[in-house]
Parts: sequence; structure tokens; C-alpha cells
Amino acid sequence: MQGQKHTQLPLKYLPPFLLLLIVATTSFGQTMVKGTVKASDTGESLPGVNIIVKGTSRGTVTDLDGKYQIDIGPSDKTLLFSFVGYTDQEVEVNGKSIIDVVLQVKSTALDEIVVVGYGVQRRKDITGANIQVKGTELSKQPVLTATQALQGKVSGVQIISSGNPGTSPQIRIRGTGTMLGGTHVLYVVDGVLTDDIANVNSADIVDMNILKDASSSAIYGSRGANGVIIITTKKGANTEGDLNINYNSNLGFRQAANLVDMANAAEYKNYYQAATGTAITGPTADTDWYRTILRNALEQNHNLSISGGSEKTKYYFSGSYLYDQGIVLHNTFKRLTLRSNLDFKLSDYISTGIQSSFANAINENGFNNLDIDENGNIGSAFNDAYRAAPIIAPRVGDKYGNVSAFNGQVGNPLLDIENNKVKVAANRLQGGGFLDIKPFPFISFHSNIGVDLAFRQSRQYNYKFLNDETTFDIAGGNQLNSASNLANKNVINFKWVWDNYFTLSKQFGKHDLKLMVGTTAEKFQENWIYGTRKDVPADPNLWYLYNGSASSSKNDGKGDIWTRNSYMSRLNYNFDDRYLLTATVRRDGSSRFPKKNRWGTFPSIGLAWNVTKERFMQGQNLFKILRLRTSWGVVGNDQISTDAFTTTVIPNLAYPFSGSVSGATNGSQINQIKDPNIKWESTSEYDFGLEFGVLENQLSGEINYYNKEVDNALINVNIPSTVGDADHVILTNATSIQNTGIELMLSWKKSISKGMSYSVGANITLNENKVVGLNGGEPIWGGNIGAAQGFTTLTDNNHPIGSFYVLKVLGVFQTDEEVLNYKSSGGSVIQPTAKAGEFRYWDKNDDGKIDDSDRYFAGSYQPKAYLGINGTVNYYQWDFSIDIYGNLGNDVYNGKRAVRINGKDNIEKELVYNRWNGSQNPSQSQPRANTGNLLASDYFIESGTFFRINNLTVGYTLPELLSRKLRVSSLRFYLTSQNLFTFKKYSGFTAELPGNPLNSGIELSTYPTTRTVALGVNLNF
Amino acid sequence: MKIQNISHIVLLALMASCSESFLDVPIQGGATTESDPDLAQKLVTGSYHSLLQGDSWGSGDVHGFAFISVTNIASDDADKGSTPDDQKVPVGDIDDFTLTPTNKFAETLWSGHYNAIGTINQALLALSTASIDNRTKKQLMAEVKFLRGYLYFNLVRMFGDVPLILRVPRDQKDANSDPAFQTRMSKLIVYDTIAADLQYAADNLPLRSAYPMGHANKGAAQSLLAKVYMYRGNWQRVYELTQEVIQSGQYRLVDDYSWLWRQKGDNCAESIFEVQTGSYNNANLGVNLYTVCQGVRVGGLGGWNDLGWGFCNPSADLINAYEQGDKRKEATIIFIDNSGTHKGTVLWDGFRIPSKDSVQNLYYNYKAYTSATKEEFAEPNDKDRPKNIKILRFADVLLMNAEAAYHVGGDVSTPLNMVRNRAGLPDAAPTLENIWKERRIELAMEHDRFWDLVRQGRAAQVLNAVGKNFVQGTHELLPIPNSQIQLSGGKLTQNNGYN
Repeated sequence: MQGQKHTQLPLKYLPPFLLLLIVATTSFGQTMVKGTVKASDTGESLPGVNIIVKGTSRGTVTDLDGKYQIDIGPSDKTLLFSFVGYTDQEVEVNGKSIIDVVLQVKSTALDEIVVVGYGVQRRKDITGANIQVKGTELSKQPVLTATQALQGKVSGVQIISSGNPGTSPQIRIRGTGTMLGGTHVLYVVDGVLTDDIANVNSADIVDMNILKDASSSAIYGSRGANGVIIITTKKGANTEGDLNINYNSNLGFRQAANLVDMANAAEYKNYYQAATGTAITGPTADTDWYRTILRNALEQNHNLSISGGSEKTKYYFSGSYLYDQGIVLHNTFKRLTLRSNLDFKLSDYISTGIQSSFANAINENGFNNLDIDENGNIGSAFNDAYRAAPIIAPRVGDKYGNVSAFNGQVGNPLLDIENNKVKVAANRLQGGGFLDIKPFPFISFHSNIGVDLAFRQSRQYNYKFLNDETTFDIAGGNQLNSASNLANKNVINFKWVWDNYFTLSKQFGKHDLKLMVGTTAEKFQENWIYGTRKDVPADPNLWYLYNGSASSSKNDGKGDIWTRNSYMSRLNYNFDDRYLLTATVRRDGSSRFPKKNRWGTFPSIGLAWNVTKERFMQGQNLFKILRLRTSWGVVGNDQISTDAFTTTVIPNLAYPFSGSVSGATNGSQINQIKDPNIKWESTSEYDFGLEFGVLENQLSGEINYYNKEVDNALINVNIPSTVGDADHVILTNATSIQNTGIELMLSWKKSISKGMSYSVGANITLNENKVVGLNGGEPIWGGNIGAAQGFTTLTDNNHPIGSFYVLKVLGVFQTDEEVLNYKSSGGSVIQPTAKAGEFRYWDKNDDGKIDDSDRYFAGSYQPKAYLGINGTVNYYQWDFSIDIYGNLGNDVYNGKRAVRINGKDNIEKELVYNRWNGSQNPSQSQPRANTGNLLASDYFIESGTFFRINNLTVGYTLPELLSRKLRVSSLRFYLTSQNLFTFKKYSGFTAELPGNPLNSGIELSTYPTTRTVALGVNLNF
Repeated sequence: MKIQNISHIVLLALMASCSESFLDVPIQGGATTESDPDLAQKLVTGSYHSLLQGDSWGSGDVHGFAFISVTNIASDDADKGSTPDDQKVPVGDIDDFTLTPTNKFAETLWSGHYNAIGTINQALLALSTASIDNRTKKQLMAEVKFLRGYLYFNLVRMFGDVPLILRVPRDQKDANSDPAFQTRMSKLIVYDTIAADLQYAADNLPLRSAYPMGHANKGAAQSLLAKVYMYRGNWQRVYELTQEVIQSGQYRLVDDYSWLWRQKGDNCAESIFEVQTGSYNNANLGVNLYTVCQGVRVGGLGGWNDLGWGFCNPSADLINAYEQGDKRKEATIIFIDNSGTHKGTVLWDGFRIPSKDSVQNLYYNYKAYTSATKEEFAEPNDKDRPKNIKILRFADVLLMNAEAAYHVGGDVSTPLNMVRNRAGLPDAAPTLENIWKERRIELAMEHDRFWDLVRQGRAAQVLNAVGKNFVQGTHELLPIPNSQIQLSGGKLTQNNGYN
């Protein structure tokens, strides 16, 4: 709706049921004056303008839409309009009932209103690094969540998305600041704190405010360490009773953006023979397994919103439906959302509102390659598609080709997909109500209750099939499921949060003071129950535990409760618009920590200097904006499990005393040593920034430097086995992590003529992450990919978290003689069993053998830089936009190549041709044809640098003349493409690989990135 | 609305979120020692559960693949098996005695045993304060002390001197400050503690027939104590204890040797102590990987759903050691059909294993075979079906009795020939060599042979003869795990020859 014209329909057209939803309000007073206040510079309405009846203390302020109303007595003659940054204006009433005012700007300034934690501020009063992105920029992309659409838009914010339908992308604000604490960014949706916004329809979002530095996020205290994103959803505007209707829809298709070419049957046979010396005489099919399990998928998205309002009542209703087919066979995601946001002005000094949203999301046959959410997992189809031999047919008649009978280890990927059905249905109610009381112009009280109720039901059904001739073309192999299995899991979460705070503001001459004090309390409850039975019939209508064999029942269930209680305050001081100060203190109590460490204090301070406001800058015309700011603050991360510090008994460690046939006796163990003194991770951060706008603000930009240090990050410290702790580690605060970086944003906007304009924006972030103090902690191994390789990452001092730590390949032995000549300084042959064509590894410690102590730090998944480039062109009825995103200097571990552990596994086409082949191809980088089981080495590490055209959109808006004939206010058609093209070096599917801090950047069985092309329409009545 | 009313609401709102008790949230679902009165009893059961550890590459192993490796595969009874490359490290290194202090299986055996000892010490602590009758309390303490004695007996046989931990550390700091947790105690003292624990068990536990099945009992404690004394060379005590067990009337040899490793042989009259397996929560409950790692493995032409990974293959040396007509040979070893007739091998339950063309190795351990069709399991389709492991059985006691009689001048022939006759063999001369040979054949693939060779002082001689790199003075023991030496800050010392 934003930025679009509407024609307004009279209220009488409102359907009766909507009338029921709108609560009528009564007005007070005898004579009422109302109107809109706008700014001279932008022409947009100005919220928060003070309006006082001259000579009295009576007054009001304009609302978010710049509208006001005030009761006037017979003796009141003049209204005084004032707003910081604008010249005061007096207007005679003279019996007028509508007074619209345009306030003259004192100078160009960032007067936009920005939602900050527990209040709003004008953009120019903000001393921290925070960035606002408009909902209109986000909702135009055909993606599930607004977070994904944020990718490349903002510096300092790294978004790692996945092509997997229904999953939320990972987000890292200013680097990775934790190893084991939770890494979720904190979202605040209309005051509700959450770590997942997959339930929020992007089209309902007015804007997202990203609080990047500690000065901005410290108001969220122990929740702020991973960054905070505040999301405001749309509200109705005062349309004087008229109705706005917006319909927005797109329809398109998706396909895998990049595929890995595997060997075909002939190439496969050739390679196998080269590797083993034996020829394959067997099946003769020629299958491309990826193409067998992937498809071109449909995508559609429909949004309908109705909004409007009067002076007293405003409403916004919306509904949306998103259907995302998924590029893997049988994989679908559907989401329905409904929202109702209502605002009521009860009197001059009391207003209230309710936001409520419902989301129903159904994910079928998804893949769980993220640890963010439980989307079910339909087997190992991707891994199997990589390894399955191309000479086996997917199907022979109505039977499956028997891959495992040939290979021994890998199943038929198509059967993986078709014989497992997973469905996750999530229902979520989220919303809140607020009450605003403003008894005097200088004080206001705000109370907000937010609730979040989520139900998630998962159901997994595995069909029964045997390795016989009813299932396969030939019997045999080990892909079978001898009994059908049904598993159900239900999870209920309920959370409430209650904020109460006062805001006091007062101006004395050039001094402008604003103080917020308040409290917030939060409670979370979770309860899950799980059950499974075997031998449930294959008819989906019978997929209830009831129909399974009771003698195979298994069940489990548990819950969690935690609470938080906090006190927070913020002081804003502004001297003459030149010098600005923001200071915040939050005191947080959390039930997740032991009593003595329960409370933490999180202070912050931010300073800004508007250089352009200084007298010495008055003569110049170059800088419209020149602003320096600096901040310091402390934020925390309390995302650890509730029982991290209390020794608990582990139940159900049973023992079957009476032998095999009967059940066992329940037993328990106490087998964990816990650190009773555990406390939250706290991050202290410095930030320096410079903002500027030159050439009439056509060119504007921002540069930031930050230094974040987590001093007591949680880490699992190894302890001696003799202590009696079953996993031999203890979770404790014992390491420091540092992130330093530079962010640069530039934007150029030019209006050439009426109807012709363009803009270009670019941003880049350089981040360096390193572990600086494993205080008593051992380096941590991670990235275990099994097979012959084991762990592939190590987290150690002076290296980025989760750095690849593997053997170094020096080259390839060209002859057997070279093998014998490769000796340590002690004279022993280092790789005595190697053959010509195998890798020569670096014997780092020169001990004459190759083992784990020869590994070295070979790179990191963390990009050295990431950047975004955005451009728009408006040419009369046409509009065009492009978003480019890139990562620089990150590495990827090609894990899928590493888990090729069987000679009969397929091989990538490229490796068939590039392999070392004696004198024919004396490669120094590729080994001879082999049967896999290669050691973990830098051979598997590839550059992850990529640039991608994230979004490309072309739109055409019908000329007003034409749209009026069609009785619509505006009508726009557009063609949009997501991930149209990626420039990358990496040979796999994607270099964009979500994962937890210790295990990221490893491509094992990744959902391929998708490319979307969609046609859309945007219609306003 | 009046201003006063508003301020009331506001005050109420602010007050509501200020109470400290709001933050006192008990942990949901995690029982603590205070909240469960039956805890001590459950901790005893949990101590038995720790015998089932088989996480050989992870948290710990007591009777899993690592245990199989250092007992059977290290000995001359079995080869690594499987494909040549599979588990070359760490299992191949154990087979060939090329193992290093970073050997993962040595590390998980260390940690698995100490995990179990930790849970036992927790159980003893809980028992000491539990409000249960004195007799029951003593019996429960005796049971877990039996387990602790058994675990330390394994530890000293694997590692020599080991830290002797008999209490629960209060916290990590306590564990770091008490040197007992990280320094090695002379194995003489460890042996004394083992003997004391087992003596306590023998004194306080009833006989098998008077005590619930599967629990440690008097006979088990006496038999294990006899074995401990055998390793200490105290033949008089071995003789006395084995006599007492034999004369207790609680045990006898079963007629058919091959039954012992089928479900119908679980807890049979010959069984003295075994690791119990079965089901819990409708799922299999056993030693992780014990059967699947030794199961018959597909190879060559493939085309069948195999039984496991094919490790721990009976060696040619063992096969050659059987006398003509020994019934135990066919009960111990699965012979893969290599005749070229493609008849395959039909096992006792009728299951047919294809011939060598489709199988990886020639010989497999029959004592680790489970039947999906003729035995009962919660999850019969799981390849890693649980199997009871015989730790002590009557034949072992008879052979200990024979060996003790040889040293103290008693009747060697009766116990020795009881074992031989059951196997369909004639009487043999009462020589030490014959007793040792009988122990090897009778207890083949039962985790006894390697330690027995070390005890007999001829490990180097025997193992070098079959081509292993065994070095006398080093390979009798496993290396102390490198990681543990590092964590102790060097307080733990390495075994001879591994530095």
C-alpha cells in the first residue's frame, strides 16, 4: 500500500461483517479542529508534532500519520505547532474546523520516525548504528520471509538463505559471536520477542529496523548480543471513513539454480575400471539421479489487505496465501496468514490497539538440513543421488531399480522420497494489545502485552517395503523397511511478554531531554509429546497411532519453562540539534541462570555530533548531512538450555536383568558434572560512524567501524574421563571471541525529470572473526562428516570460529619411485603404502608419518567481506530494480565428495576427465581414479566467493487515465526473478551453507538453491 | 478516566513484574536427587546399564567394538576382518600392535570404564544415605561393588596402573585438586581394592538360586575373585574359591555347547555372570554394535542384505587348533562356502548365507550371531540385535579349578575332562599345556584369550609366532590415551614403549 495512490470508496461499501469488527467510538468536546501536519521538505505527514492552544497548557500531538484533532473553547484563538528541527508556526483558528499545516524545515535533517526498543525516535536523534528497511522493498521479492529479502540490502547483516521451502534463513549481525549459546537474532514483532518470523507475511510489514550496535540493542540486554530486528506491521490510516483495498499476487516457477554434473553410464564405467581394474558388466541404464528427483516447481503468493479508518478508529485486515512447491518431488510448503490490526483513540489522552495474527504453515516432505527448525527429513535422497550409480534405472516398469543390490550402501533416491511421508503443520497465534496514556504533554505511559502461541504437529510415515521382487526389479540389497512406522510429535509453546514504561520529554531552550523508564516480564512454556507405532496400514486415512501395533509403541515427552524479568531506562539528550547523547541501562534477571548469577546489568552510551548544525558549517553547501557518532555498550546472550547449571538425573537407562525376552528394569544415572557458576555471554562493543549527505543529499552514505568482544563465551571444556562425566565435557564460560569490521554504505539518487529517476546503492561489510582466548578450554573439533575423514574444523585461538583444519595436499605422486623418495628428515618414507597418482600430504611435524597432527588451518567459512548492490530506474510507467549480493573470501568444504566411500559410488563428471592419469594427464591437483575414502585435506576446500543477482524486477503501471476507466486506483504488472544468476567458483550446488558456528560451510546433502521467475500483479482500489 | 485511576493501573502494572520468585522456576522434567525417593535403587540399575556402553568412537566403550578389538582381535584367535581398509585405524593397529597413544578405541575403553565407575560411585553415595532396610542396602552395595571390581579388573589388565577413583567429586574443582583423579595408582593397590570389593560382594550376596536372575550374586563374586587371584598367581585362593563354586550345586555344564550363544542359553545353568540384553520401551536394548560389527558382510557380487560389518574373523590359527571331532568348532565359527558349489552356509535357524562370491570374508564369529526369525527381539529387523555376553561361566570356573589344582596338587583331570567330554573329546593328560589349550578352545572368541596369554607370560612368543608385531614389555598393555595425559597436565604417565 505504501507509496501507492488510492481512490477512496465511501464507507457504505464496507461489508457488514467488517462493520461489526470496527468498534465505534464517541468523541468528546464541543468544537473540534482537526487536520494534517506535513513537512515542507518531504511533503510527507509529520508524526509527533506538538500542538498547543496558545496561552494554555492544553495540547496534543500528531499521530503516526501526521493527523491531529483538538477541542477548542470559544476563547481559544491560536494554535502553536512545534516540532524539533522545524520552525514553529502559529495559526489563527478563526472558526475553521480543518487546519492543515506545512511546517518549514529548519534545515535538511533525518526526521523520519524510527521505532527503537520501547519507544520511537526521530532518525536524527539516534546515536547508534541502526538501519531501517521499508516493507515495500522486502515484499516485492518472491521469498517466504522478510529476512531473506533483506539479503544484500544492509551492511553488517549477513543473511544465509536456503532453497529449502519453509525454512528461515540464518542471520549473523556483525559476525559470529557465540559458539554454543544460541545464534538466533532477536526479532521484536509489534513488541513480541521471537526468534522466528516465518509466520509473518512480508506484505504486512511497514518496516524493519535493524539494531546493529550495542548502543541500540543494549536496551534488549541479555537478548541483544546477536542483534535485534524490530518489525512493525501495518496499521490503518485515517481515510475519513474510506476504504483502501490492495491485492498483490505473483505466480511463477522455481528450478534448481545450479546442478552438479555427475558421470553418465559410460563415464562411470570407465572411471570404475580405472579405479579398481575391473570392468563392470551389469545394468545398462543411464540415469541422471538429480534430474530424477528434482522438478520445475510452481510458486504462488496472494495478498489481500483492507484498511482505513476515521479519526478515532483505524483498521488493517489482511490475508495471504503462499504456495511453494519445492524443487524436490513431493516437497511442498503452504502458508496461510490472517492479520487484524486495530487502533482506537479513546480520548485525547488514551489510545489503545490490538494486533493479532494467525499463521498456518504446512510443510510436506521437507529436508532438515538446518538446525533452526524441525521440518522433518525424508531420508538421504540428496546424498544417495550423488552416490547412486548411473547404470541403474530409477524405475523398471512399476518397480524400482535396485541401487543397493549393486552398490551395497546407497539406496534408490527416488524410493527414499516416495516411501517416506513427512508432514509438519504449524499453527501460530501471535499478537498483543497496548494502552497509551498521555495525561500531560510531557509524560506518557505505555503498556503492551504480547502473546505468542504456537502448535506444531509433525507426522512421519515410512512405508513398508522389502528388498524383494515386489518392490525392485531384482531382489537383494539393503534398502528395505520391513515394518511400516508412524511417528507423531506435538509441540505447544506459549509465551507472554508484558512491557510497561513511562516516557518523559521536556525542552528547556536548546536542551531537549527524553527519559524512558520501565519494566518488562516474560514467561515461556513448552510441552511436547511424542509417540510412534509400527505396522500402521498404508492408507493415509489410517495414519493414526490407533491403527498401529500397540506392542510396538514408544512414547516420550517433556517440557520447559523459563522466565525473565527486566528493568530498563533510556535517556536522550539533545543540545541544539548539534550534540546528542543516548544512555541506556538494562537490568535483566533470567531463570535460566543460577540464583547468584541471575541478574546482569547491560549499560550503553552513544554520542553524536551533527557537524552541519555548527555555525562554521552554515556557509557551506556541500554537506547537507555530516554527522559523527560513537557508541559503547554491553549486550548479552542467554540462549542456553534451562538445565545447564543443575545436575539432573538421567532416567530410562534400563537394564534387562531377566534376559532377552522380557522388558527391562528402569534405571537412572547421574553422569553429568555441571558448572554451578555458569553465567551469560556478554559482548562489549565499540562503534564509530560517519554519516554524510552531499549534492543536495543525492549522494549519501555511512561508514562504520565496530569492535565486538565476547568475554565469557560459553564453551564445552574437556575434562578428564576419570571425573565421571559421560560426555567428558563441561559447559562453562571460558573463551573470548572478537569480531571487528568496517561497514560502508553509499547511495545515489537522482530525479531527472518528473517521471524519470534512478538510484544506485551499494554496501560492503568487512568482518574479521577470531577466537582470542580459549581460557583453559581445549580447541574444539567440529564438522564431523564421518567416513574416513572425521572432524574437519577446529576452533582455536587466533583463528575464526569453525576454521577448516585438515591435511595439506602438496601434490600428486607421479611415480612409485616418488613415493619412496618422499622421506622425512629422519629418513623414513612418509607414505609407504601410497601409489602413483595418490596425494602427497605435508608431514607438518616431520615425524615420518601422516596423521591428525599434520593438519593445518586451511581457511574458514566466514566471508572476509559481503556486499550488496541495489539499483532502481523509474521511467514514466516503467520501473526496474536489481539487487546483487556477494560473498568474498569464504571457503567451502566439499563434504559430499568426501563421503564418497565406496568404489561403486558415482563420480562427478569433471573428476572423470581431470583425474591424474599417468603421462596422459600428470595432474598435480587431482588424484587418480579411486574408490573414495580420501583423508580430510585441503583438496576438498574450494573458494566460496560468489556474486548473485538476487532479484531483478521489471514493472509497468497502467497510466492513470486507463486505470480510472477500469475503476481502480492503480494497477501494476511486474515480472520478477529471484536468484536469476550466480557467478561462483565453487563446483557444488551453493556456497551459501547455513549451519551452527562450529560446523558451517560444509556441503553434504544441501537443498539446491532455487531460481524463481514469477509474474505478478498489484492492484489498488 | 481520572488521572488517579490511571496512576493506579500504572503502579499495578509496574509492581506485577517485580517479584523475585517469578524467576525461581524449577527445572522441568529433570529429576534431582531430592525429588525421587527411589533414586538409589534406580542408580544401581543404571550402574548395570553402564555395562552396555558401546560408543567406541565417542563417549565410551565397555563391551562394544573396542572391547572386542583389544580382547579377540588383538589375540591369535581372530583377525580384524571386514575389508582391508575398513577401520585400519584404530582396529587394524590393535590387531598388528602398531597402535599409538591416540588410538580411539584405547581412549573410549578408558573413558567407558571410568563412566561406569562414576555412575557406581554415585549409586554408592546415594545408597549410603538412602532410607531402605540395612540388608537390602548391603546387598545393593555389594552388587555395585561387584561391578566396580569387574571394571577395575578390566582396567588393570588393559592399562596396568590406573587412577583409583572410589568417590564422587563434588565438582570439577574438587576433581582437579584431588590427585587421585588424575594420577595412576600402583596396580597392586588397585588389585587389593578389586579383591576387597569382590570379597564384600561374596560376603553379602545370596547364592544364585536365592537371588533375582541377572543380578550379581555370591557365585559370581566368588568366581570373579578366583579369576582375579589367578592373575595374581595366588593358586591356593583360586583353588578354594573355585571348589566352593563347584560344590555350591548352583551350576552345571549344559549338554549342548552351541546353545550357550542362543537366547535359550541366556542365564542357563552354566551361566555365572553375563551382560544382560533385551528390550526397553519396545526397542532393542543391548551393547551397541556388538553383533552388527561382527556380522557377516556382503562382498564380491553382493546382491543380498547382509548381517553386519564383518569384523573379528576367527583366525586360521584358531581353526587349526581344534582337535578332530571337537563339537565346539562348528559352534564357534561360521564357515563361508568356498567350495565353488554355491550351496552357501545354512545356519542353525535355517538362514542361508551365500557363498564366498557374495561374502567379504571366509570365517565369522558364530558366538555373535543372532537370529531374526527364531529368537525374540523388540526390533527383529534391526541388524544390531542384542546378545547377552557371557562374562563368567561354569566351564571357565572348571578350567580355573584345574589350573589351580595343577599348582596346589589337587585333582586336575576331573574338571578338565568334564569340559573336554562335553565337547565330544576324550580325556586328556593333566598337563599345564593341555589346560591352557583347553581354555583357548573352550573360551574362544569370548574375550579371554589375549589377557590369558599375557597372564601366562607367553604373549610375545605366541603372538610373534602368528606374525604379529607384539613387543614384550610394551604391548601387554594399551597406551594411556594421549588426550587424558594432556588434560591431566602431565600428571598421568604413559606406559612403557608408547612415548
